[in-house]
Amino acid sequence: MLKTEALSFSYDNTNIFNFPDILLQKGEDLLILGDSGVGKTTLIQILSGLLRPQSGIVELNGTRFENLSSKSLDQFRGSHIGMVFQRSHFVRNLSILDNLLLFLYLSNKLHDKQRAIDLLEEIGLSDKMNSMPDELSQGEQQRAAIANALIKTPDLILADEPTSSLDDNNCQKIITLLKQQASLTNAKLIIITHDQRLKDQFNTSILL
Amino acid sequence: MNINRLSCINIIRNPFNTTLSLLLMAFGIGIISLLLLLNKSVEEKLYGNLNGIDMVIGAKGSPLQLILSSIYHIDNPTGNILLEDVNKIKTDPMIESTIPLSLGDSYKGFRIIGTTHAYPQLFQVNLQSGKLWDKSMQVVVGSNVVEACQLKIGSTFYSSHGLLEGGEVHDQHAFKVVGILDESNSIIDQLILTSSESISKVHDHENHSDHNHEDHSDHNHEDHSNHNHEDHSDHNHEDHSNHNHEGVKEDCSHGHSEMITAMLVKFRSPVGFIKFPRKVNETTNLQAAVPTFEINRLISLLGLGLRSINMIAFFIIIVSGLSIFISLYNSLKRRRYELALMRVHGGTRFQLVKLVLQEGILISILGLFLGILFSRLILYIVSFFLYHNYSFYSIQLSLIKEELWLFPIALFVGFLASLIPIIQAYRINIPKTLSNV
Repeated sequence: MLKTEALSFSYDNTNIFNFPDILLQKGEDLLILGDSGVGKTTLIQILSGLLRPQSGIVELNGTRFENLSSKSLDQFRGSHIGMVFQRSHFVRNLSILDNLLLFLYLSNKLHDKQRAIDLLEEIGLSDKMNSMPDELSQGEQQRAAIANALIKTPDLILADEPTSSLDDNNCQKIITLLKQQASLTNAKLIIITHDQRLKDQFNTSILL
Repeated sequence: MNINRLSCINIIRNPFNTTLSLLLMAFGIGIISLLLLLNKSVEEKLYGNLNGIDMVIGAKGSPLQLILSSIYHIDNPTGNILLEDVNKIKTDPMIESTIPLSLGDSYKGFRIIGTTHAYPQLFQVNLQSGKLWDKSMQVVVGSNVVEACQLKIGSTFYSSHGLLEGGEVHDQHAFKVVGILDESNSIIDQLILTSSESISKVHDHENHSDHNHEDHSDHNHEDHSNHNHEDHSDHNHEDHSNHNHEGVKEDCSHGHSEMITAMLVKFRSPVGFIKFPRKVNETTNLQAAVPTFEINRLISLLGLGLRSINMIAFFIIIVSGLSIFISLYNSLKRRRYELALMRVHGGTRFQLVKLVLQEGILISILGLFLGILFSRLILYIVSFFLYHNYSFYSIQLSLIKEELWLFPIALFVGFLASLIPIIQAYRINIPKTLSNV
């Protein structure tokens, strides 16, 4: 279960973001829509534990973020939260497969090459697993980035503008993929975006 | 996949920067290592060949030259001295033992030394085969000479005048090899030893009135070969030749006073060092030089040059550290998002620091080994070319004690170069880095 209560954050003490409370059960998904400057990125960073809120609580599967040291929070995020960003990024000197294996290693999970290969298969990138990230098209890169987030079978998938730079066709594919993978692993999925194309795809949505 | 592998991959995937840093580090380390090796090898050979020689007496001139020519056999002698002058000194109670040396001839660039049996004993070298000389014109050769000149027991050769190859050949008298010395890794491996009489005999030929001598020599030669052919008896022949030679010597020494080139001296007690050389230098027309003094002086002169080359090498190491720093810094600037991404996926600060530090240290350690390899390679090439002229280069492949210092130096440079990038990696602001793309 993911629960937030009375989250607020401010960068300069004049502009204060106050975020609505979120309650998300296993296997549920949530779309958070908002225009630029309403604190979408800030919210996703608070939800992932990258930023500490000024007030309010975040709790994932019974663990309150405020009770964790920053090192434990890093490790907690590493093993429980998968993140997808607007622009996909990779460790550029490693192949797509090795990127997956590195992130699996960093999340303190067991080395499992077969799982990485299977995941690339599910995502439709099995023929690219030995390619370098630069050699992939944008759509392929975004799919590979989703694989990076999913490799550790997270409890929560946080996607920050995952479709904004994609065309309609790729946008549809990515959303389908995210929803499909989330339900396969019983993970909670939160997508934060200004992309209006996604409005009809989710049952639950919040407007910031 | 783990942090260690990632460091290696990052180094390999950045070939230009890596090569530059590696080469600079290898170059600096290589020069210092080479200097250390040469220094050690030269010092070892210089002191190792002293063999307890306390003092050398020779003709007036440069004391260093006297030492170099009579102990290390690398410079020209200062001149010859009269045996009777030396004999006057020899009886001094401070002196324990003396060894005369007569130089002046060589064979294929190897020096022929006229001396006594005490000289090879000084080196504690054993005969590999044959025996020591007991008659004039018999020689015992060092191991390197045997190899280079293809000599064996019973071989004969003519010496040439002077200490370099290509001097006038003394074709009146042939030297005969009667013994071969074991390898001793000292200067004696490069020498041909014979009796003092042999040297004066060869030279007296040159100096005497032509007529008298050529006659005598012809006669001698014919006799010799005749006898050999007719009798086929070795014993007889040797007897005969010995007799003849003795005759020559007698002849010669009547005309001249006998000369030697230098005399090696061992004192009874260290008191000799203080009094004796001064006494000789002030009261006689001979020169006395103390090898340890001269060698210390030589090494301190060399040391001056070594120190300045050392400084240049250290400068190169610093530049290599700078190059490692710049390459780490630049690649980190490009990879900031990468590091943030690793943090997002659960990487700890410590893992990022480890990643960056390993890249810096790995390059400097690789450079270190490359440099040490490089110095051995250079030494090998140098020794290959100089082997015949100087025996100062034996190849040292194992690490020497002084080189162990290079390890902490290389590690320190690698660490220093990684320091700023490490701090950057440690303090990376993930939210800011992620949202500023």
